[in-house]
Amino acid sequence: MRCPTCLIHIDGGYHEISEHIFSMQEKTDADHITWINRYVSRNRTTEDEFEKLVKQVFETDDLKTWIIRKFIGKFFSKNPHYFLLKMQRPDRWTLLGYAYEHHHFLKQWVKSCSMIIANTDFEEIHHYEIDNIISEWHGEEGRFPAHHELLLKMGKSYGATLEDIYNTEPLEPTIHAVKTWDYICRNFSFVEGMAAMHSLELIANRKMKDYGASVGYFDPVILKDGSVTKETVDFLREGYEADVSHSEAALDLIEKYAARLNLVQEVQAVFFRSIEEFDNYLNARIERGVMIENEQH
Amino acid sequence: MKTNNTEGCGLCNATWGEYWREIDGDNMYFCCNICADIFETMVDKVKESTGWKKIDYVELNGNYSSGRECEARNGEDSFKYYFRTYSNGKFITFEKR
Ligand SMILES: [Zn+2]
Ligand SMILES: [Zn+2]
Repeated sequence: MRCPTCLIHIDGGYHEISEHIFSMQEKTDADHITWINRYVSRNRTTEDEFEKLVKQVFETDDLKTWIIRKFIGKFFSKNPHYFLLKMQRPDRWTLLGYAYEHHHFLKQWVKSCSMIIANTDFEEIHHYEIDNIISEWHGEEGRFPAHHELLLKMGKSYGATLEDIYNTEPLEPTIHAVKTWDYICRNFSFVEGMAAMHSLELIANRKMKDYGASVGYFDPVILKDGSVTKETVDFLREGYEADVSHSEAALDLIEKYAARLNLVQEVQAVFFRSIEEFDNYLNARIERGVMIENEQH
Repeated sequence: MKTNNTEGCGLCNATWGEYWREIDGDNMYFCCNICADIFETMVDKVKESTGWKKIDYVELNGNYSSGRECEARNGEDSFKYYFRTYSNGKFITFEKR
Protein backbone atom coordinates (compact mmCIF):
# COMPACT_ATOMS: atom_id res chain seq x y z
CA MET A 1 0.00 0.00 0.00
CA ARG A 2 1.01 3.60 -0.47
CA CYS A 3 -0.01 6.79 1.34
CA PRO A 4 -1.93 9.08 -1.06
CA THR A 5 -0.37 12.13 0.59
CA CYS A 6 3.28 11.52 1.50
CA LEU A 7 3.61 8.53 -0.89
CA ILE A 8 5.48 6.34 1.60
CA HIS A 9 5.16 2.59 1.17
CA ILE A 10 3.23 0.91 3.95
CA ASP A 11 3.25 -2.84 4.60
CA GLY A 12 -0.17 -4.34 5.19
CA GLY A 13 -3.67 -3.42 4.07
CA TYR A 14 -6.37 -0.83 4.66
CA HIS A 15 -5.95 -1.15 8.40
CA GLU A 16 -2.31 -0.08 8.25
CA ILE A 17 -2.83 2.64 5.65
CA SER A 18 -5.72 4.21 7.53
CA GLU A 19 -3.78 3.92 10.80
CA HIS A 20 -0.94 5.92 9.22
CA ILE A 21 -3.24 8.63 7.87
CA PHE A 22 -5.22 8.80 11.12
CA SER A 23 -2.05 9.20 13.18
CA MET A 24 -0.80 11.98 10.88
CA GLN A 25 -4.15 13.70 11.41
CA GLU A 26 -3.69 13.41 15.19
CA LYS A 27 -0.36 15.18 14.74
CA THR A 28 -2.27 17.91 12.84
CA ASP A 29 -0.28 17.34 9.66
CA ALA A 30 -1.78 19.78 7.17
CA ASP A 31 -1.20 17.72 4.01
CA HIS A 32 -2.82 14.55 5.36
CA ILE A 33 -5.74 16.53 6.79
CA THR A 34 -6.20 18.19 3.42
CA TRP A 35 -6.47 14.79 1.77
CA ILE A 36 -8.99 13.58 4.36
CA ASN A 37 -11.09 16.75 3.99
CA ARG A 38 -11.08 16.60 0.21
CA TYR A 39 -11.54 12.89 -0.41
CA VAL A 40 -12.89 11.19 2.72
CA SER A 41 -14.93 13.49 4.95
CA ARG A 42 -14.68 16.78 6.78
CA ASN A 43 -16.25 15.27 9.89
CA ARG A 44 -14.08 13.55 12.45
CA THR A 45 -14.88 9.91 13.06
CA THR A 46 -13.54 7.17 15.30
CA GLU A 47 -10.46 5.35 14.06
CA ASP A 48 -12.52 2.23 13.23
CA GLU A 49 -15.05 4.24 11.27
CA PHE A 50 -12.22 6.04 9.49
CA GLU A 51 -10.75 2.72 8.32
CA LYS A 52 -14.11 1.80 6.76
CA LEU A 53 -14.32 5.16 4.98
CA VAL A 54 -10.76 4.89 3.64
CA LYS A 55 -11.51 1.42 2.33
CA GLN A 56 -14.62 2.77 0.60
CA VAL A 57 -12.58 5.51 -1.07
CA PHE A 58 -10.17 3.02 -2.61
CA GLU A 59 -12.16 -0.14 -3.18
CA THR A 60 -13.10 -0.73 -6.82
CA ASP A 61 -13.26 -3.52 -9.36
CA ASP A 62 -13.08 -1.04 -12.23
CA LEU A 63 -9.95 1.10 -11.92
CA LYS A 64 -10.46 3.01 -15.16
CA THR A 65 -13.93 4.21 -14.18
CA TRP A 66 -12.70 4.96 -10.66
CA ILE A 67 -9.99 7.25 -12.07
CA ILE A 68 -12.42 9.01 -14.40
CA ARG A 69 -14.98 9.54 -11.62
CA LYS A 70 -12.43 10.92 -9.18
CA PHE A 71 -10.99 13.17 -11.87
CA ILE A 72 -14.43 14.55 -12.69
CA GLY A 73 -15.15 15.08 -9.00
CA LYS A 74 -11.96 17.07 -8.67
CA PHE A 75 -11.97 19.22 -11.81
CA PHE A 76 -15.33 18.99 -13.61
CA SER A 77 -17.90 19.02 -10.80
CA LYS A 78 -20.67 21.60 -10.53
CA ASN A 79 -17.92 23.88 -9.22
CA PRO A 80 -15.36 23.27 -11.96
CA HIS A 81 -11.73 24.18 -11.53
CA TYR A 82 -11.21 27.91 -11.95
CA PHE A 83 -8.89 27.38 -14.92
CA LEU A 84 -11.66 25.51 -16.75
CA LEU A 85 -14.04 28.40 -16.08
CA LYS A 86 -11.46 30.77 -17.57
CA MET A 87 -10.99 28.46 -20.58
CA GLN A 88 -14.65 28.55 -21.61
CA ARG A 89 -13.98 32.02 -23.11
CA PRO A 90 -10.24 32.46 -22.62
CA ASP A 91 -8.64 35.89 -22.77
CA ARG A 92 -5.12 36.50 -24.05
CA TRP A 93 -3.67 36.59 -20.51
CA THR A 94 -4.98 33.16 -19.62
CA LEU A 95 -3.63 31.73 -22.88
CA LEU A 96 -0.26 33.41 -22.35
CA GLY A 97 -0.09 32.05 -18.79
CA TYR A 98 -0.94 28.66 -20.25
CA ALA A 99 1.91 28.88 -22.77
CA TYR A 100 4.55 29.98 -20.23
CA GLU A 101 3.81 27.39 -17.55
CA HIS A 102 2.85 24.52 -19.86
CA HIS A 103 6.19 24.70 -21.62
CA HIS A 104 7.78 23.51 -18.36
CA PHE A 105 5.07 20.89 -17.86
CA LEU A 106 5.79 19.41 -21.29
CA LYS A 107 9.54 19.44 -20.70
CA GLN A 108 8.90 17.22 -17.69
CA TRP A 109 6.31 15.21 -19.60
CA VAL A 110 8.80 13.87 -22.10
CA LYS A 111 11.22 12.99 -19.29
CA SER A 112 8.45 11.20 -17.39
CA CYS A 113 7.49 9.18 -20.48
CA SER A 114 11.13 8.21 -20.93
CA MET A 115 11.46 7.08 -17.33
CA ILE A 116 8.32 5.00 -17.68
CA ILE A 117 9.96 3.30 -20.68
CA ALA A 118 13.17 2.77 -18.71
CA ASN A 119 11.26 1.16 -15.84
CA THR A 120 9.65 -1.66 -17.83
CA ASP A 121 10.33 -4.41 -20.35
CA PHE A 122 6.74 -4.55 -21.61
CA GLU A 123 6.95 -3.57 -25.26
CA GLU A 124 3.38 -2.33 -25.55
CA ILE A 125 4.27 0.26 -22.90
CA HIS A 126 7.37 1.27 -24.90
CA HIS A 127 5.28 1.70 -28.04
CA TYR A 128 2.62 3.67 -26.21
CA GLU A 129 5.10 6.06 -24.62
CA ILE A 130 7.15 6.55 -27.81
CA ASP A 131 3.99 7.42 -29.67
CA ASN A 132 3.11 9.87 -26.90
CA ILE A 133 6.56 11.49 -26.97
CA ILE A 134 6.29 11.96 -30.72
CA SER A 135 2.91 13.64 -30.54
CA GLU A 136 3.62 15.77 -27.45
CA TRP A 137 7.23 16.73 -27.98
CA HIS A 138 8.79 15.73 -31.27
CA GLY A 139 6.16 15.78 -33.99
CA GLU A 140 6.63 14.10 -37.32
CA GLU A 141 8.39 16.01 -40.10
CA GLY A 142 5.96 16.88 -42.89
CA ARG A 143 3.05 15.14 -41.21
CA PHE A 144 2.17 16.89 -37.96
CA PRO A 145 3.80 19.31 -35.52
CA ALA A 146 4.36 18.41 -31.87
CA HIS A 147 1.91 19.60 -29.24
CA HIS A 148 4.81 21.57 -27.75
CA GLU A 149 5.43 23.40 -31.02
CA LEU A 150 1.75 24.31 -31.27
CA LEU A 151 1.87 25.61 -27.70
CA LEU A 152 4.82 27.88 -28.46
CA LYS A 153 3.05 29.17 -31.57
CA MET A 154 -0.01 29.99 -29.49
CA GLY A 155 2.20 31.97 -27.08
CA LYS A 156 3.84 33.79 -29.98
CA SER A 157 0.47 34.69 -31.48
CA TYR A 158 -0.20 36.72 -28.31
CA GLY A 159 3.16 38.47 -28.39
CA ALA A 160 5.40 36.18 -26.32
CA THR A 161 8.87 35.45 -27.65
CA LEU A 162 10.36 31.97 -27.67
CA GLU A 163 13.33 33.31 -25.80
CA ASP A 164 11.16 34.72 -23.03
CA ILE A 165 9.14 31.51 -22.66
CA TYR A 166 12.34 29.48 -22.41
CA ASN A 167 14.06 31.90 -20.04
CA THR A 168 11.15 32.45 -17.66
CA GLU A 169 11.41 30.31 -14.53
CA PRO A 170 8.16 28.47 -13.82
CA LEU A 171 6.11 29.58 -10.81
CA GLU A 172 6.61 27.74 -7.53
CA PRO A 173 3.52 25.47 -7.86
CA THR A 174 4.70 24.40 -11.32
CA ILE A 175 8.19 23.63 -9.98
CA HIS A 176 6.69 21.66 -7.09
CA ALA A 177 4.43 19.66 -9.39
CA VAL A 178 7.18 18.96 -11.92
CA LYS A 179 9.50 17.74 -9.14
CA THR A 180 6.79 15.45 -7.78
CA TRP A 181 6.10 13.91 -11.19
CA ASP A 182 9.83 13.46 -11.75
CA TYR A 183 10.18 11.76 -8.37
CA ILE A 184 7.24 9.40 -8.98
CA CYS A 185 8.32 8.37 -12.48
CA ARG A 186 11.97 7.99 -11.47
CA ASN A 187 11.43 5.97 -8.29
CA PHE A 188 8.13 4.11 -8.53
CA SER A 189 6.91 1.31 -10.81
CA PHE A 190 6.18 2.18 -14.45
CA VAL A 191 2.46 1.69 -13.91
CA GLU A 192 2.41 4.23 -11.06
CA GLY A 193 4.35 6.64 -13.28
CA MET A 194 1.77 6.15 -16.02
CA ALA A 195 -1.06 6.79 -13.57
CA ALA A 196 0.59 10.00 -12.36
CA MET A 197 1.01 11.39 -15.87
CA HIS A 198 -1.56 9.97 -18.24
CA SER A 199 -4.59 10.33 -15.97
CA LEU A 200 -4.00 14.09 -16.32
CA GLU A 201 -4.74 13.92 -20.04
CA LEU A 202 -8.37 13.45 -19.08
CA ILE A 203 -8.47 17.23 -18.62
CA ALA A 204 -8.69 17.76 -22.38
CA ASN A 205 -10.74 14.66 -23.17
CA ARG A 206 -13.85 15.83 -24.98
CA LYS A 207 -15.79 12.80 -23.77
CA MET A 208 -15.70 14.03 -20.17
CA LYS A 209 -19.17 15.50 -20.58
CA ASP A 210 -20.48 12.05 -21.52
CA TYR A 211 -18.96 10.77 -18.27
CA GLY A 212 -20.80 13.43 -16.26
CA ALA A 213 -18.59 16.54 -16.40
CA SER A 214 -20.45 19.84 -15.96
CA VAL A 215 -18.25 21.64 -18.53
CA GLY A 216 -15.71 20.73 -21.20
CA TYR A 217 -12.08 21.82 -21.28
CA PHE A 218 -13.24 24.80 -23.34
CA ASP A 219 -16.39 25.78 -25.17
CA PRO A 220 -15.93 24.35 -28.72
CA VAL A 221 -17.53 27.54 -30.06
CA ILE A 222 -14.15 29.29 -29.62
CA LEU A 223 -12.71 27.06 -32.35
CA LYS A 224 -14.98 28.87 -34.81
CA ASP A 225 -16.05 32.27 -33.53
CA GLY A 226 -12.78 34.14 -34.04
CA SER A 227 -12.42 35.03 -30.35
CA VAL A 228 -8.96 33.42 -30.13
CA THR A 229 -6.02 33.38 -32.56
CA LYS A 230 -5.71 30.79 -35.31
CA GLU A 231 -2.66 29.39 -33.50
CA THR A 232 -4.80 28.88 -30.38
CA VAL A 233 -7.39 27.03 -32.43
CA ASP A 234 -4.63 24.82 -33.88
CA PHE A 235 -3.27 24.11 -30.40
CA LEU A 236 -6.61 23.40 -28.74
CA ARG A 237 -8.00 21.38 -31.63
CA GLU A 238 -4.96 19.12 -31.67
CA GLY A 239 -5.36 18.32 -27.98
CA TYR A 240 -9.12 18.06 -28.37
CA GLU A 241 -8.75 15.34 -30.97
CA ALA A 242 -5.56 13.58 -29.84
CA ASP A 243 -6.01 13.26 -26.11
CA VAL A 244 -9.11 11.09 -26.30
CA SER A 245 -7.15 8.16 -27.67
CA HIS A 246 -4.11 8.97 -25.52
CA SER A 247 -5.70 9.21 -22.14
CA GLU A 248 -8.13 6.37 -22.56
CA ALA A 249 -5.63 3.95 -24.09
CA ALA A 250 -3.34 4.79 -21.19
CA LEU A 251 -6.08 4.11 -18.65
CA ASP A 252 -6.65 0.70 -20.22
CA LEU A 253 -2.93 -0.08 -19.90
CA ILE A 254 -2.82 1.21 -16.32
CA GLU A 255 -5.81 -0.94 -15.39
CA LYS A 256 -4.31 -4.03 -17.03
CA TYR A 257 -0.86 -3.77 -15.47
CA ALA A 258 -2.01 -2.53 -12.06
CA ALA A 259 -4.09 -5.69 -11.75
CA ARG A 260 -1.37 -7.94 -13.10
CA LEU A 261 1.31 -6.48 -10.81
CA ASN A 262 -1.01 -6.15 -7.82
CA LEU A 263 -0.51 -2.38 -7.63
CA VAL A 264 -4.07 -1.07 -7.78
CA GLN A 265 -4.00 0.81 -4.46
CA GLU A 266 -0.53 2.18 -5.20
CA VAL A 267 -1.77 3.50 -8.55
CA GLN A 268 -4.73 5.14 -6.80
CA ALA A 269 -2.47 6.73 -4.18
CA VAL A 270 -0.16 8.19 -6.82
CA PHE A 271 -3.17 9.39 -8.79
CA PHE A 272 -4.47 11.30 -5.73
CA ARG A 273 -1.14 13.01 -5.23
CA SER A 274 -0.82 13.81 -8.93
CA ILE A 275 -4.22 15.50 -9.20
CA GLU A 276 -3.43 17.65 -6.15
CA GLU A 277 -0.25 18.83 -7.88
CA PHE A 278 -2.14 19.33 -11.13
CA ASP A 279 -4.77 21.44 -9.35
CA ASN A 280 -2.06 23.80 -8.09
CA TYR A 281 -0.33 23.77 -11.46
CA LEU A 282 -3.54 24.85 -13.26
CA ASN A 283 -3.79 27.73 -10.80
CA ALA A 284 -0.22 28.68 -11.66
CA ARG A 285 -1.26 29.09 -15.31
CA ILE A 286 -3.84 31.63 -14.15
CA GLU A 287 -1.40 33.37 -11.83
CA ARG A 288 1.16 33.68 -14.63
CA GLY A 289 -1.49 35.21 -16.89
CA VAL A 290 -2.39 37.77 -14.22
CA MET A 291 1.31 38.59 -13.76
CA ILE A 292 1.75 39.19 -17.48
CA GLU A 293 -1.42 41.32 -17.57
CA ASN A 294 -0.16 43.44 -14.66
CA GLU A 295 3.31 43.66 -16.17
CA GLN A 296 4.84 41.96 -13.12
CA HIS A 297 6.26 39.29 -15.31
CA MET B 1 -13.67 36.57 16.36
CA LYS B 2 -16.68 34.45 15.42
CA THR B 3 -17.40 32.76 12.10
CA ASN B 4 -20.32 30.77 10.72
CA ASN B 5 -18.15 27.65 11.02
CA THR B 6 -19.37 26.73 14.46
CA GLU B 7 -18.62 23.00 14.46
CA GLY B 8 -14.97 22.93 13.44
CA CYS B 9 -12.11 24.75 11.79
CA GLY B 10 -12.63 28.51 11.64
CA LEU B 11 -11.89 28.48 7.91
CA CYS B 12 -13.19 25.17 6.52
CA ASN B 13 -15.36 23.81 9.37
CA ALA B 14 -13.59 20.42 9.29
CA THR B 15 -13.39 18.66 12.61
CA TRP B 16 -10.09 16.85 12.04
CA GLY B 17 -6.78 17.87 13.56
CA GLU B 18 -6.36 20.44 16.28
CA TYR B 19 -4.44 23.63 15.73
CA TRP B 20 -4.93 26.77 17.76
CA ARG B 21 -3.85 30.25 16.83
CA GLU B 22 -4.47 33.63 18.37
CA ILE B 23 -6.29 35.86 15.90
CA ASP B 24 -6.98 39.40 17.11
CA GLY B 25 -6.66 38.33 20.74
CA ASP B 26 -9.00 35.32 20.39
CA ASN B 27 -7.68 31.79 20.52
CA MET B 28 -9.21 30.16 17.44
CA TYR B 29 -9.47 26.51 16.45
CA PHE B 30 -8.30 25.35 13.00
CA CYS B 31 -7.90 21.88 11.48
CA CYS B 32 -4.29 22.63 10.46
CA ASN B 33 -1.69 25.36 10.20
CA ILE B 34 -2.54 26.04 6.54
CA CYS B 35 -6.15 26.94 7.36
CA ALA B 36 -4.83 29.16 10.18
CA ASP B 37 -2.39 30.86 7.77
CA ILE B 38 -5.14 31.48 5.24
CA PHE B 39 -7.50 32.85 7.88
CA GLU B 40 -4.84 35.12 9.36
CA THR B 41 -3.84 36.51 5.96
CA MET B 42 -7.52 36.99 5.08
CA VAL B 43 -8.08 39.01 8.28
CA ASP B 44 -5.06 41.20 7.44
CA LYS B 45 -6.36 41.78 3.92
CA VAL B 46 -9.85 42.71 5.17
CA LYS B 47 -8.36 45.20 7.63
CA GLU B 48 -6.11 46.62 4.93
CA SER B 49 -9.08 47.04 2.56
CA THR B 50 -11.44 48.59 5.14
CA GLY B 51 -9.16 50.39 7.58
CA TRP B 52 -10.95 48.56 10.43
CA LYS B 53 -9.09 47.92 13.66
CA LYS B 54 -11.14 44.83 14.52
CA ILE B 55 -13.52 42.32 12.94
CA ASP B 56 -16.43 40.88 14.95
CA TYR B 57 -17.71 38.21 12.64
CA VAL B 58 -16.92 36.54 9.30
CA GLU B 59 -19.34 34.55 7.20
CA LEU B 60 -17.59 32.19 4.75
CA ASN B 61 -19.29 30.30 1.92
CA GLY B 62 -17.64 28.10 -0.70
CA ASN B 63 -14.66 25.79 -0.65
CA TYR B 64 -10.99 25.48 -1.56
CA SER B 65 -11.73 24.76 -5.20
CA SER B 66 -14.21 27.45 -6.22
CA GLY B 67 -12.94 29.91 -3.61
CA ARG B 68 -14.83 31.53 -0.73
CA GLU B 69 -17.46 34.27 -0.88
CA CYS B 70 -17.31 36.11 2.43
CA GLU B 71 -18.80 38.89 4.47
CA ALA B 72 -16.95 40.45 7.39
CA ARG B 73 -18.71 42.60 9.99
CA ASN B 74 -17.43 45.25 12.33
CA GLY B 75 -20.27 46.69 14.42
CA GLU B 76 -22.78 48.02 11.88
CA ASP B 77 -20.30 47.95 9.00
CA SER B 78 -20.01 45.11 6.53
CA PHE B 79 -17.47 44.20 3.83
CA LYS B 80 -18.07 41.61 1.12
CA TYR B 81 -15.14 39.89 -0.58
CA TYR B 82 -13.98 36.77 -2.36
CA PHE B 83 -10.71 34.88 -2.21
CA ARG B 84 -8.96 31.76 -3.50
CA THR B 85 -5.65 30.23 -2.49
CA TYR B 86 -3.26 27.50 -3.52
CA SER B 87 -3.36 24.39 -1.34
CA ASN B 88 -0.29 25.63 0.56
CA GLY B 89 -2.26 28.71 1.57
CA LYS B 90 -0.70 31.25 -0.79
CA PHE B 91 -3.33 33.70 -2.06
CA ILE B 92 -4.23 33.66 -5.75
CA THR B 93 -7.11 36.15 -5.60
CA PHE B 94 -8.57 38.52 -3.01
CA GLU B 95 -11.18 40.95 -4.25
CA LYS B 96 -13.98 43.16 -2.99
CA ARG B 97 -17.45 42.02 -4.04
ZN1 LIG C 1 1.38 9.75 4.58
ZN1 LIG D 1 -9.50 23.83 8.02
